[in-house]
Amino acid sequence: MTMSAETLHQLYAAMAPWLAVSLLLLGRNPFLSRVRMVGSLTLSFFLLCFPVEEWSMFSWIRMVEPNPSFTLTGLLGVLLYERLSGKKIFRPEDWNAAWLVGTLAALILYPMGLGLTHIDPYAWGWNSILPLAIAAAATSLLLKANRFGIILILSLVGSLLHLQESTNFWDTLIDPIYGAVSLVAVMILVVARLRRRA
Amino acid sequence: MTSLLRWVLIVMAWLFAALLYRPSQFSRARFGADELAINAGAASPVFKKTAVNAGQALPMVHVASLATLPAGIEAVVWYGGSKECAPDVKIYFSESEHGGGWSSPRVIMSRELAEHDLQRPLQGLGNAVLLSGSDGSLRLLFTTIAMGRWSGSQLNTCLSKDGGITWSPARRLTLSPFFNLSDLVRNRAISLAGGGWCVPIYQEFLGKFPELLWLKESKGQLEYCKSRIAGGCSTFQPSLVPLDDARALAFLRDYTDNRKVFLSRSDDGGCSWSKPVASQLPNPDAGISGLKLSDGKLLLSYNDSSECRDNLALALSRDEGKTWEKLTMLEQESGSSFSYPFLIRTEDGLINLAYTYKGTGIALTEFNEAWVADTLSSLSRSKVMVPQP
Repeated sequence: MTMSAETLHQLYAAMAPWLAVSLLLLGRNPFLSRVRMVGSLTLSFFLLCFPVEEWSMFSWIRMVEPNPSFTLTGLLGVLLYERLSGKKIFRPEDWNAAWLVGTLAALILYPMGLGLTHIDPYAWGWNSILPLAIAAAATSLLLKANRFGIILILSLVGSLLHLQESTNFWDTLIDPIYGAVSLVAVMILVVARLRRRA
Repeated sequence: MTSLLRWVLIVMAWLFAALLYRPSQFSRARFGADELAINAGAASPVFKKTAVNAGQALPMVHVASLATLPAGIEAVVWYGGSKECAPDVKIYFSESEHGGGWSSPRVIMSRELAEHDLQRPLQGLGNAVLLSGSDGSLRLLFTTIAMGRWSGSQLNTCLSKDGGITWSPARRLTLSPFFNLSDLVRNRAISLAGGGWCVPIYQEFLGKFPELLWLKESKGQLEYCKSRIAGGCSTFQPSLVPLDDARALAFLRDYTDNRKVFLSRSDDGGCSWSKPVASQLPNPDAGISGLKLSDGKLLLSYNDSSECRDNLALALSRDEGKTWEKLTMLEQESGSSFSYPFLIRTEDGLINLAYTYKGTGIALTEFNEAWVADTLSSLSRSKVMVPQP
């Protein structure tokens, strides 16, 4: 039995919302029972399957964001794993790298991609330069033992497997949600650093 | 993380990046010979007006697009419903009949069908354009609205291999980085040498600007990318006219206070474009359509007003868009609306112009180059100078 490309895209697009809602349901209680864990993961799935005006919440979310980035999905996966296992696999420097890459990508892509200039960086996502740049960024991070490098490799794997509806490499790397969270996180980091200096 | 694992991951990263390498299908694109080898048509003047959707009682129809099918049949698509962006808007298809006239309009895409194919809720449908392949296939590019109005739209495509009777499931094209908002299609696509299409598209989200969608079928797969003509929030809805295999002109709808038709030029097959420059032809923030004639002259259909769409005119340029002569007024009625012209040339050399007639009809005017020459010689001309872009 083969899976159609459309089904594959739907399944992939459902992952990030499922991970995010699961994290919300798990809450911040550090002592999670196995029942609470399984229950939260199951409940989030059924909540997202719940039909609103004939369409599941998964479909409504997909209407708005059909291409969650592999970076966002990977980071949500890291958070959920840490929450379920109680083990930290991302250190503060790994998270900082995630927010810096997200901010840099968002600042390059969105203003110009939405028409600020006649240059369209989004069009670079259809040629072969961007994957090479991401391989270089992943190399640089991995040489410093930064684990966010592994998440960047996910975007290359996802693009190779055509898991997204989009054929543009930028969409494997960044989406507006990851971009916005990164911008906020970097602003918080900058403010914290300025306060420490003061 | 062990040193060995790090190096394995680094090698994997470069391997995956290398596997993602694919040469661009469109980097050295040239406009197709069928766009440039122009049949001037019959020597005697022809001029005829018809209603395409006579008898279709809809409160609103808009944005007609034409394509030539095999055996010289003309096909038209447009959208219609209770009002723009309404959930009941459908895309209609009609084709010319051998004895003259047009077939009864047939729904080829509805919101429900698009929702089924794309597996997500939609608010409505909008602009559609037909692309006629050399193998007889027809590709429909159409706009769906996810939310809001045109700024919440996306482009989709489906294919017919039986002259528009049955269509493949629709497929979404991802063309914008921000929630895939908001690309629309409106004007005639240009075929490329070696196969594929260059389709004028535009964005209407934070900015309004003209772009090009490059499409090609390769080994059964649809490959696509896009490039930009200009950025900002000034001009959009490009109409593309190839001058030769590498040079092209883009006529642009104006969104500024200039209220003029803008022009941009490309000398490298549409890869790069000059900064758009205002012509002195007026534009009331309305659609335009251009076409090249067999003797190199350019024909432009436009609203000859900077304020309203109550007329539809033709203008002619002998010098690749530098200067223009007003040719004739095709429609004029105070308080009415004649808009969104779409020019195309048929296999027998006729020039077909489809447009929205008073908001409730799709009109088609057929004429040939002999009629253009006749009209030109009989009318007093008003020459308008345009700065060189």
